[in-house]
Amino acid sequence: MSELLGVFEQAVLLAVLKLADEAYGRSILRGVQTGLDREVAAGAVYATLDRLEQKGLIASRLEEGTAVRGGRARRFYTITALGVRSLHESKAALKQMWRGAKLPAEAHA
Amino acid sequence: MTTKTPPCWMEHLLLLALARRHRETVTGDLLEEYREEQVPRHGRLRANLWYLRQVADIAVIRLFGGSPMKYVLAILASTTLVAGGWLGIMELLLQHPGYFARTVTACCIIAQAGGTLFYLRAQGQRVLRAVLAFGGTALAALGLVSIHRVLHAAHFEGFVLIIGVALILQCIVTLAVLFGAHRSSGLHHA
Repeated sequence: MSELLGVFEQAVLLAVLKLADEAYGRSILRGVQTGLDREVAAGAVYATLDRLEQKGLIASRLEEGTAVRGGRARRFYTITALGVRSLHESKAALKQMWRGAKLPAEAHA
Repeated sequence: MTTKTPPCWMEHLLLLALARRHRETVTGDLLEEYREEQVPRHGRLRANLWYLRQVADIAVIRLFGGSPMKYVLAILASTTLVAGGWLGIMELLLQHPGYFARTVTACCIIAQAGGTLFYLRAQGQRVLRAVLAFGGTALAALGLVSIHRVLHAAHFEGFVLIIGVALILQCIVTLAVLFGAHRSSGLHHA
C-alpha cells in the first residue's frame, strides 16, 4: 500500500480525474474550490500539483495558449495508473476507518 | 471578457516568485481567471486585490512551504542574524574586558540563524535538524540567563534584553517547525 493521500491532495486528484481532457491550472483550481466548497489559494493548488507529479500520481503536458491568456501556454494534467490506485486506497482507508463508528447527533446552537 | 491586465509590478512579482517551469503557465492561468471571472464579477480594484493575494500566497508557499510558522521563524532568524552580526562587530571594535567570549557567542547566534534560514530552504536534513534543535535550546538558555542578568544589573542594556527575548522565541518556533514538520500533511497547503 502506498502512502495515503491528504484531503487536499485527494481534492486535487479528483478534480484532475473529473476534468479529464480539460484539466489545466485554472480549471483544476475551480474544480478544487467546487469540491471543497470554499475559496482556495491558487498557490496551494500548484504546490500540490507539483508534489503529485513528483510522486508519479499525475503527468503533465504543455499546450498552446489562447488569446484570453495572452497566448501563454497551458499545462494539462492527467491522472496516472498509480494516481488512480492511490485514490482507491485512500477511499478504502477512509471506509475502513469509519466502519462501525456511530456519530452522536450534531448539536445545534 | 476584458482585455485588461493586472498591474505590471504585480506580474513582475509573480514571475519572481515562480519557478522557471511554471512562469508561463501560471501567469497565463491567473490572467485568464482575472479577465474572465474576477474583473467582470468584482471590478478592477477587487480583481487586483485578488491577483495580489495569489502572488503573495505563491511567494509564501515557494519560500516557506506554505507554513506561517516558517515565515515567523524566518523573520526571527533574520533578526537574530543581524543582531548577532552587529553584536560581534561591536565587541571586536570596542574590545571591552571579556569581549572574546561575547564574540564567540555572537558567532554562535549567527551560525544558528544562518543554519535555520538554510534549513527553511533546503529542508529534510536530519543532521542539521538535530544541530538546530540543540543549538536553539542552548541559545534560549543563554537568552534566559542574559535576561535575568540584565534585569538585575546596575546598568540596563536594552539590546541584551531584545536579543535574549528573540533567542527564546526563535528556539520555541524552531522546535515547533522542526518537529511539527513530521506531522504535516497535504492539508496545510490549503
